[in-house]
Amino acid sequence: MTVIARRLAGHLARGLVMILVVATISFFIVNNIPGDPMAARYEKLIEGGMSPEAAAQAVKVLYGFQPTGSLWQQYTDYMGGLLHLDLGVSVSRPGTPVLDVLGEAAKWTVLPVLVGTLLSFLVGVILGVFAAIRRTSKLGDALAISGSLLHGIPQYVLAMLLVVIFATLIPILPADGPVDILFEPGFNAGYIGSLAEHAVLPVVTYALSAYGGWVLAMKSSVVTVLGDDFILAAELRGMKRSIVFRYIARNAILPLFTILALSLGLLLGGAVFIEKIFNYPGLGLMLINGVNDRDYALMSGAFLLITGAVIVANIVADLFYSTIDPRVRSGEEAA
Amino acid sequence: MAQPETAPPQTAPAPVPAPVTPAPGVRIDGLTVVYKTTAGELPAVRDVSLTLEPGTITGIVGESGSGKSTLALSLLNAVQPPGRIATGSVEIDGLGDVVGLAGERLRKARGAHIGYVFQAAQNSLNPLKTVGKQLLDLGRSHGVDDLRGLVREAKELLGRMGLDGARVLDSHQHELSGGMRQRVGIMLALVLNAHLVVLDEPTTALDMITQANILKIVREVHAERGLTTLVITHDIGVVAEVADRLAVMYGGRLVEQGPTREVLGAPRHPYTRGLIQAIPRLVGDIDEARALPGRPPTLATVPKQGCVFRERCALRMDICETDDPAALADGPRIVACHAVGVKERA
Repeated sequence: MTVIARRLAGHLARGLVMILVVATISFFIVNNIPGDPMAARYEKLIEGGMSPEAAAQAVKVLYGFQPTGSLWQQYTDYMGGLLHLDLGVSVSRPGTPVLDVLGEAAKWTVLPVLVGTLLSFLVGVILGVFAAIRRTSKLGDALAISGSLLHGIPQYVLAMLLVVIFATLIPILPADGPVDILFEPGFNAGYIGSLAEHAVLPVVTYALSAYGGWVLAMKSSVVTVLGDDFILAAELRGMKRSIVFRYIARNAILPLFTILALSLGLLLGGAVFIEKIFNYPGLGLMLINGVNDRDYALMSGAFLLITGAVIVANIVADLFYSTIDPRVRSGEEAA
Repeated sequence: MAQPETAPPQTAPAPVPAPVTPAPGVRIDGLTVVYKTTAGELPAVRDVSLTLEPGTITGIVGESGSGKSTLALSLLNAVQPPGRIATGSVEIDGLGDVVGLAGERLRKARGAHIGYVFQAAQNSLNPLKTVGKQLLDLGRSHGVDDLRGLVREAKELLGRMGLDGARVLDSHQHELSGGMRQRVGIMLALVLNAHLVVLDEPTTALDMITQANILKIVREVHAERGLTTLVITHDIGVVAEVADRLAVMYGGRLVEQGPTREVLGAPRHPYTRGLIQAIPRLVGDIDEARALPGRPPTLATVPKQGCVFRERCALRMDICETDDPAALADGPRIVACHAVGVKERA
């Protein structure tokens, strides 16, 4: 247990340093993007028919909260705010803290991507085992080909294909937005049903695009383990098929857990195209809008959130690995 | 329960594996094992007949690729695809012909009747589970009700081999040395009370001291538990140390067999002679050891007709090109060679 605790402490310290570095880099990069959100708003107001004086006044009132002072001053303010989880205030939605905007968007991303990833992992791993065991038969070939094919199609092409098929040619599923506005938000059947219905296509897109990778990875992993001596040894000792199967599965799935943890870390940032296509108000769509609106604070916050998720996923993967693989555990003790 | 040694060979598989009688006899008859290759099915073991007398240790010596491991796997009907047993039978007392066994009956025979010990360098244990948990898996696979008894038996066996049983059962494979792993392998082969044990290269990749220890253990456990043991090795020193009877394999054929002392003391087959001459002596000039000319055949280059050894043979005659020499018995000794009349030296 102390080994785990020491490991965790080391990871957290390294993770914290990484977050600080990323926060610094993203702060300076974002601040150096050409364009000025206040000028952009000013021009928008003028285009809307406002007089230059009134527009200038409105912009000043609207963005009075914006940090002024030197870049260094702004940087220290920003980093100081980070300590209290204060990511600043959104530019495109004046007055709303970035953290609230991120939280609102994250819930539309996390759940569908999580469901899609876990679904594809489950199906892909199980079919990958069959693809390996039946690799000389037609079933094995078919599974491997399905894996390569789906692995090769870019995610956004898959998304558009699904939209064309299931929302246009055979319009049985909605492909626009997260929920029907007809329903009263809350815990009622209509609202929940509509949510689920709208989530089907994005979730299926995530699942299908990740499935190929799982099938291929699991297949090659199982084939490797099947050639290991201890599997033959177990058979020659007369072990039950079910037990031998568990030996194979547990050894073969080990490397895949690492990939799973890392892909879960990327789930916050990996859905940009898909959310755009399905008009799903998650982090990806928010990031696109943030870039369009020159919303510096929002961009920095989003990058920081994605970084944090990847770091946490790495830590989880490592700790998890050391609990399921005894060789990693004792490696630490010996060190 | 003891089956007389002279029990007639059972031709049909026994209905249910009978309780193991101590030290079963084994009769391998006309066994041919082929591997499917792009050049068709090629024999790795050809027309091998060998009898393991109950309670004896038999050694099979041969170079890499001579087919000795394939022969060992045949005893468990476990030749791996693309190989298969083409013809022949392997009669084991209490089991019948294992070539005819399949499915659950075959699975239960493995482990419970026949113990198989892997080469120490091979990882014969699941790296993710402790030895103890794998022991329990083994017990459950064979329907052992008294798992505590099984653990007790395993600890006794490990203790008998000079290990701390409790500690070993609580260890993973990577925490054990080569010699310890080999003892764990022997324990797993014996713990279900199998009385026929096959050891495939039991001392390869172990240091000299550990080799000597393992061989001592094999000899002692063999005697104490009343086993029939088959040792597969490329090391003549190993068989000289443990085996009562020795069989020499070359190109998938058994070329000579007989009591170990006699075969090593007065080898008859030119291959056996060449092998023994090739061993460097501890004392004396290293040049006295003479290597066999040529190289051993592979699955693809082994001659389809005639003697498998003729390419490297000093005593080669015309008949060797066309006729495969029959294995002729002379008392306890069997030699397959045209040039060496077995009677001539007897």
